[in-house]
Amino acid sequence: MTALADLLGSNLVRTVLLGAALLGAISGMLGAFAVLRRQSLLGDALAHAALPGVCLGFLIAGARDLGSIMAGAFFTGALAALAMMLITRATRLKTDAALGIVLSVFFAIGVVLLTHLQAQGGAASAGLASFLFGQAAALLRSDLWIMGGVGLVALALVLGLWKEFKLVSFDADFARAQGFPVLVLEGILTVMVAMAIVVGLQLVGVVLMVALLIAPAAAARQWTRSLGAMVALSAAFGAASGMGGALISASVRGLATGPVVVLIATAVVVVSILLAPGRGVLWQARAARRARAQISDRRLLATLQGLAHAHDDAAYPVEQGMIGTALGAQPPATQLAKLERRGLIRPVTHPPETTPHWELTGKGHAAAAAPETDREAPQ
Amino acid sequence: MHEDTLHEPDQALHVEDLTVSYGVTPALWDIDLDIPPGVMCAIVGPNGAGKSTLIKAALGLVRPVAGHVRFLGHPVGRMRGRIGYVPQRHSVDWDFPTTARDVVEMGLYRSLGWFRRPGAAARTRAMEALAQLDMQDYADRQISQLSGGQQQRVFLARALVQDAPILILDEPLAGVDASTEAVIIALLQRLRDEGRTVIVVHHDLTTVQSYFDWMVMLNVRIIAQGPVKQVYTPENLRAAYGRQLAMIAIPATAP
Repeated sequence: MTALADLLGSNLVRTVLLGAALLGAISGMLGAFAVLRRQSLLGDALAHAALPGVCLGFLIAGARDLGSIMAGAFFTGALAALAMMLITRATRLKTDAALGIVLSVFFAIGVVLLTHLQAQGGAASAGLASFLFGQAAALLRSDLWIMGGVGLVALALVLGLWKEFKLVSFDADFARAQGFPVLVLEGILTVMVAMAIVVGLQLVGVVLMVALLIAPAAAARQWTRSLGAMVALSAAFGAASGMGGALISASVRGLATGPVVVLIATAVVVVSILLAPGRGVLWQARAARRARAQISDRRLLATLQGLAHAHDDAAYPVEQGMIGTALGAQPPATQLAKLERRGLIRPVTHPPETTPHWELTGKGHAAAAAPETDREAPQ
Repeated sequence: MHEDTLHEPDQALHVEDLTVSYGVTPALWDIDLDIPPGVMCAIVGPNGAGKSTLIKAALGLVRPVAGHVRFLGHPVGRMRGRIGYVPQRHSVDWDFPTTARDVVEMGLYRSLGWFRRPGAAARTRAMEALAQLDMQDYADRQISQLSGGQQQRVFLARALVQDAPILILDEPLAGVDASTEAVIIALLQRLRDEGRTVIVVHHDLTTVQSYFDWMVMLNVRIIAQGPVKQVYTPENLRAAYGRQLAMIAIPATAP
């Protein structure tokens, strides 16, 4: 614990910790909407398209001035979004192709500008490369105010326009038919995602930023049954990943914050996909195994009942080999033992035969005749 | 001035000179159409006839090249709260994290106004709408857990909760089972009997005569429109669907 206290004693660590938590919360909250609207890759394109803007901002300001760099990033991001819209409207290309083209072209322009600026020299231009993968150490106290401001605006918009955002995310056509200004609402959501990306560039960088939008939302979807819970949990996952990444990279030398944050967020996704009740892979596998066992039990009981009916004797003792022949395979001893424990069948003898026999109990007859229970389907 | 003057107020839906084009080929060509209030109207036509496009253009979801649309004399912009719209079921992602009741409450969002959240009153009305479709037991179910027919009922309940005089449904019977079809048709006929206008994009010619009292036959242009008895004729069906029309659809005796 003293190691942690030492870490938190450092101003820089505290700044990075708070910044990463803020960024994670903002992008987690907005990412939930982006993922539900199937626009997660739009975030990736916007992030990559921010790189030429970063370089332009630097060129115009002549120094590494955060304000102009963010303005530049926002500007080229908007340009990229516009280009994608024009491509999908004017050509037969689908959204994914348009995204791919715009993303790579803007990123290429960004890299060309970046390498050119670096070749020109100047101490400040060297720092520009950190926007590729982020550089937490460059984060300033004053940057936190910008992040906090963006976060507050996003939170206010999401709370104020909650039902409108929900409707537009679920069914935009219906919203339009109801007279909601869908284009404006979608525009607000997209602009907020772009804002989140721009404030995240310093910390996580253009290449990995999209993970902070998608991963917390994808993980949160696994655990939740309502939009409110999903957005809140997504923000919490994002904040936790941010803080975890900041702490780990602060305590181990030579680990970049951004990529560690992304790795933690991804680990949360993996755990969620495997374990979440209802939707998790393991949960569903267990449910499927249970369903199979249930069906197998019912078949066994039905076989016993069928033979009892055929002999007009409710307590007809069925020879164990007969069960196997009727079912096509010998039932495992564990299955018979389990049914016996549940009081559905009981072992009996049938002299002069020495082989094991089974008969249905009253409860067993009832279970065999009961209608199939309505099992809750996985979410 | 045009916005305030009623134009053809005696028609539930009035469409004049409507042309819609996706790219070069027209999806709808010079449509003139009138549907009187209080009828249950089927819009039928072959694939690609522009049935969905027609109602999307009427609702202002698709921008027409030419023409105008009026509901009870008003442009659609003034009728937003008074038209219940049921889109095609496959137009949304049913894995969205929400419940059946929550989806139905979306039909009330408009009347709530900006920034207000649905409360107990909305909840009650949503439950009533679900009950009319025999779905009250599924109110708290995740929509991803509903069957196709149940999802369709939820969509219909969302339009129903608006208590609108005009309902427009896009293929509400596509891919639903017989019992859901019966529930939906009985409800729509009851709404019609209450004096509402029900407009349905319909794909099953064999049931048009038994379900509907008014119909519009469409194949990019209007082929015929009017009471089903007058419109459902071999000549019109051939004109809309071409010669290879299945035998069952042709009435045995022409009226």
